[in-house]
Amino acid sequence: MSGPDGTSEKNIKTRDGILTAVAAALFAAALWWATKNLDGYKLRIINLIAINAILGLSLNLIYGMTGMFSLGHAGFMAIGAYVSALLILTPEQKTMMWILEPIAPWLLGLHTSFVVSLLAAGLIAAFFGWLVALPVLRLGGDYLGIATLGFSEIIRIFITNLTPITNGSLGLKGIPAHTDIWMSYGCLAVVLVCMVRLMKGNFGNVLRAVRDDEIAAQTMGIDTFRTRVLAFSLGCFGGGLGGALMGNLITTIDPKMFMITQTYNLLMIVVVGGLGSITGSIVGAVVVTTMLEWLRFVENPVSIGGIDIPGIPGMRMVIFSLLLIIVIIFRREGIMGMREFSWNWFFHERTPGKTVGGGPR
Amino acid sequence: MRRLLLVVFVCLLMTGSAFAADEPIRIGVFNCLTGQNAFGGQLELEGTQLALSEIPEVLGRKIELVVVDNKSDKTEAANAVARLIERDKVNAIIGTYGSALAMAGGEVAETAGVPVMGTSCTNPLVTQNKKYYFRACFIDPFQGSGAAAYAYRTLNFKKAALLIDVANDYSVGLGNFFKQSFISLGGEIVSEMKYNSGDQDFTAQLTEIISKNPDIVFLPAYFAEGAIVLKQARELGAKFRFMGGDAMDNPEIVTLGGDAVEGFLHTTFAYDPSMKDMNPVAQKFTESWKAKYPDKEPNVNAALGYDAFVLVVDAIKRAGSADPDKIRDALESTKDVPTVTGLTTLNATHDAEKELGIVEIKDGKKQFIGTITP
Repeated sequence: MSGPDGTSEKNIKTRDGILTAVAAALFAAALWWATKNLDGYKLRIINLIAINAILGLSLNLIYGMTGMFSLGHAGFMAIGAYVSALLILTPEQKTMMWILEPIAPWLLGLHTSFVVSLLAAGLIAAFFGWLVALPVLRLGGDYLGIATLGFSEIIRIFITNLTPITNGSLGLKGIPAHTDIWMSYGCLAVVLVCMVRLMKGNFGNVLRAVRDDEIAAQTMGIDTFRTRVLAFSLGCFGGGLGGALMGNLITTIDPKMFMITQTYNLLMIVVVGGLGSITGSIVGAVVVTTMLEWLRFVENPVSIGGIDIPGIPGMRMVIFSLLLIIVIIFRREGIMGMREFSWNWFFHERTPGKTVGGGPR
Repeated sequence: MRRLLLVVFVCLLMTGSAFAADEPIRIGVFNCLTGQNAFGGQLELEGTQLALSEIPEVLGRKIELVVVDNKSDKTEAANAVARLIERDKVNAIIGTYGSALAMAGGEVAETAGVPVMGTSCTNPLVTQNKKYYFRACFIDPFQGSGAAAYAYRTLNFKKAALLIDVANDYSVGLGNFFKQSFISLGGEIVSEMKYNSGDQDFTAQLTEIISKNPDIVFLPAYFAEGAIVLKQARELGAKFRFMGGDAMDNPEIVTLGGDAVEGFLHTTFAYDPSMKDMNPVAQKFTESWKAKYPDKEPNVNAALGYDAFVLVVDAIKRAGSADPDKIRDALESTKDVPTVTGLTTLNATHDAEKELGIVEIKDGKKQFIGTITP
């Protein structure tokens, strides 16, 4: 291990590769154990964590990595959820559900497998993302936020009014529950691997350059507009994928699910975890999803020493908000900041001077 | 020593089984206690809790309510039902206000095989193809056709207009079924205007409707927006009458609308505190509500929360068991059970068949006019 620099770096790389493979295998084994031993409620939360992580990662690519303040993620989720649902519902289900207006005839016979519908959901969301990005990404900062927010509302209103295609505000139900643990964690693994490779490669550097100083990046010869459009569309792909998984988990969707509060939830995951950190988005998804459910106990009636305190609905949101405020006061950059997980954390003393933004503080 | 231990062990076992016999029957409640639908969910929960204080036991076992909030959010609704079933091991579930939430929760209950009694989720899709979902309310097509029949036959109005909240499944459904029945009765729909939940200005739609000169405008709105519509219509000098659905049934409407709600009609469940000939269950409900919440008027949401509990307990009693599947089977054969909102029968599609009530606002007060039987 104390050879010349080249071999040591190579050794570390092999070591990290092995450790990652072992960790992935252990995690898969833990998931397998969970599916056999945990009840449906806990599995549902574990499942939600994966979906929220996918959504958080995709928003982080747009906001954290590339610095585009987007409030439109709920809209892209809606596109993904509707595309996937419309592709996997059977014709019989469709005729039964459209009780107000008949369904558009071309849509009735459309029926694909779940995986195809997921891909289609992501691609169509990415296509719309690209379409929006062309005019909107000429804006920056807060203006971009407002424009994307407006776009997401437009999508929602379109879905509400396009009754022959979307069944309007009545929503869709009976979507087959395809999103099991393996499906959502499989998708998360794919998204995660793509993100890590993307950010480690040159494209990651380009994104960071565009985020940190757009003019400097331009002077370096980077086509910043093209880069931003590409990153935005990729993020929208993730949004559509996450939305599709979500729809298949809950088995029913309606336009009201994709209001601005949905975007805020994702933004919370990204900001709490750490803007610009892949690890952060995952940590954020775990913390936010489990905390919201775990905190339910504060709403239950309790009796301490013979005194009965009735449960107050909404109490957990108060406590959750307080926790968020504390996180933001003491760690403004989020739990992870911009740092990423690295195996070097465990081997700190062995790799002097080689902790590239990886070591704790 | 060993024998002593054995005796202790046997005693423990016996007390253990004795406890098991006395274990309470747990009924889960998932409702929107926070979020945008909280006004309805809170009232329903209070109704359910009132029912529990009147009927604390069934089959000699105590009943325990386990309440979880669904935040008026679909993901949370599904989580809440999963929690009730897996963690709290409830025998049956009551809920919720808002059909979309009921659909999200219903799927979880369906897979787990636990019966759910819906309170005021009136969208026909909620119980469609569901083995375990029932509801204490009637559904939108029934109410829509009832309202149309009342407007056309009793009030003799031939020309109607619609003002629909296009973002609200309840409003779209109810409006549509009113339209279908009104046309099939021989009436004419002269105008069909739309708005979005949260809108504050309805003058454009109202001006258009006024120009078409209808006899009556059907307004399937929530009471907050409905009151604003009525106010603005009055300001614009509208002469026609308005008619709404059960979502307008809230004591707040008079406070919000003031003079402008005078003469407003709405269909609702067959219960109102102003009813003259109340059935015994409704009388008891009104009395105990006023004793428990002296500063609040009871309304249909509270009544439905109460009724849902009554129906579940009735099914447990008839099943003679708290087994979820047996409760489900008993619920399916529910017939003429006396509830606050009249005699309730659950039909083949698991929807309640009961009378439709008509309320008119007169002299700043809700007046129960009468009931229509389907």
